[in-house]
Amino acid sequence: MFDLKKYRKKSPWILHYNAGSCNGCDIEILACLSPKYDLERFGVINTGNPKQSDIFLVTGPVTFRTRERLVELYTQMPEPKVVIAVGSCACTGCVFRDMYNVEVGIDRYIPVDVYVPGCASSPELIIDGVVKGLEILEQKTKEMEKPFKLFKEATTDDGIVNRRHSALKVGEDDAKD
Amino acid sequence: MKKTINIPLGSQHISLLEPVRFKFECENEKIIGVDADVGFVHRGVEKACTTSFKFDAIGYVVARVCGLCAITHSLTYTAAVEKLLGAQITSKAKYLRILLLELDRIHSHMLCLSHTCENAGFEAMFMRIMGDREHIMEIQELITGNRVQFDYISIGGVNRDLAPESVQKIKENLYIVKQKVQGYMDEFTNNWSLSLKFKGIGMLSLDDAYMYNAIGPLARASGLRIDVRNEIDYLPYHEVGYKMQTHTDGDINARNLVRLAELVNSIEMCENILNGLPEGDIFTKIKGKPQGEALMRFEAPRGELMYYIKGNGSAMLERVRIKTPTFSCIPAFSHIFLGGDYADAPAVLASFDPCMSCTAK
Repeated sequence: MFDLKKYRKKSPWILHYNAGSCNGCDIEILACLSPKYDLERFGVINTGNPKQSDIFLVTGPVTFRTRERLVELYTQMPEPKVVIAVGSCACTGCVFRDMYNVEVGIDRYIPVDVYVPGCASSPELIIDGVVKGLEILEQKTKEMEKPFKLFKEATTDDGIVNRRHSALKVGEDDAKD
Repeated sequence: MKKTINIPLGSQHISLLEPVRFKFECENEKIIGVDADVGFVHRGVEKACTTSFKFDAIGYVVARVCGLCAITHSLTYTAAVEKLLGAQITSKAKYLRILLLELDRIHSHMLCLSHTCENAGFEAMFMRIMGDREHIMEIQELITGNRVQFDYISIGGVNRDLAPESVQKIKENLYIVKQKVQGYMDEFTNNWSLSLKFKGIGMLSLDDAYMYNAIGPLARASGLRIDVRNEIDYLPYHEVGYKMQTHTDGDINARNLVRLAELVNSIEMCENILNGLPEGDIFTKIKGKPQGEALMRFEAPRGELMYYIKGNGSAMLERVRIKTPTFSCIPAFSHIFLGGDYADAPAVLASFDPCMSCTAK
């Protein structure tokens, strides 16, 4: 059958969430999907379902009421996933930084892979960020597929093979290398 | 036994650009109750305007309330401050302000129309309108240097002059868009998925529009003749060829047609401004601190935008109050949903062209 992992890089699906932005970056993301910039030539398509998407585009500083939804959407997305913070507010909070209902950027709540600056980010920058995100997505996919050992070498004392202490914690062997 | 089911729409949904939650109470397919929750993107701009920014910087802060009508927000605030300071701005600056205001309206209406097409399942039309909208974005980038957040208007005038060599390019682009809009008119009146399907859906009668205080294209589509551009004398709208566009049906199709007619009118106004732009300075220096109260209204793409500011003679203002168009329209929105099918809800919602960033501030 199809090797799904092989095609993930060729057609990543986008989930877009507005966490309190001014709509400026959101209409620029829409403009990216339009014929002039045409993000769809990279196989990217905008979807509303977190369970089918690979790339998470977030705009806006996180307001108190959107942060639960933001984390919820992030956790619903399947691994591997890439988070792209679009716009200065999503990166640092920008002009909304000290307002009473606003956090300072989305990376307080979810890990961010690519930061796209600008107020509002131009479509060229957003496309650049998404292409960068695709590389990270491929790298993450490879990392997930890497085999890892579950057991240490068995020890031999008095001619008896002892496997009692051979269980390995996940990642312990990698950390040694 | 309970006979109704509750269906939520939002806060994150494919047909929504921004977080808003509607809770529909449905009996079979019919909607019998609506509950709207619009406060997801509340940031506290009004409070910050009185505590952390000085009055000459607020024009750029309030532009960040909404990216779609950024120019109207900064213009309304600036006009209110100029009223308090008793400033007179040059007529060239006034005309340039109208030019940007109308360009902003054109791109906002085109975005709304394309969104309506997308929600009708007409993806090709969505792409066509979005592609043509880029001509307008090019013009805006040419005039102001940025595509969305212009920061064009400052207290006393505008920040950039119109370069003589760019005028020709602007006229060409406007001509292209004008031709395309004529084509859309044909599609929106004759194409089955865009006209007949939308006729009689999401009705708002004239009486209801009056009673529920609808404004903007929503009210004008029901035949209510209300437009701030017709009522103010601060900007010379009547000199540049403003004509009010109304329709009598009050359904989704009528709203689309009103928007299309406004597009044509706005393009004509822009062409008139470019042809007869007066000579002179674009900026006059203004001194003083705002003292007293001022109230200013302007027509944003979605309806009347109102600013109330109160100064006490220092650099910090005492109060900035923003009343946004979508906020005033919410009672009318809720009324329209009642009695309709749930399946129509995304299309009806797109035809309102709601702006939640404005509403929640």
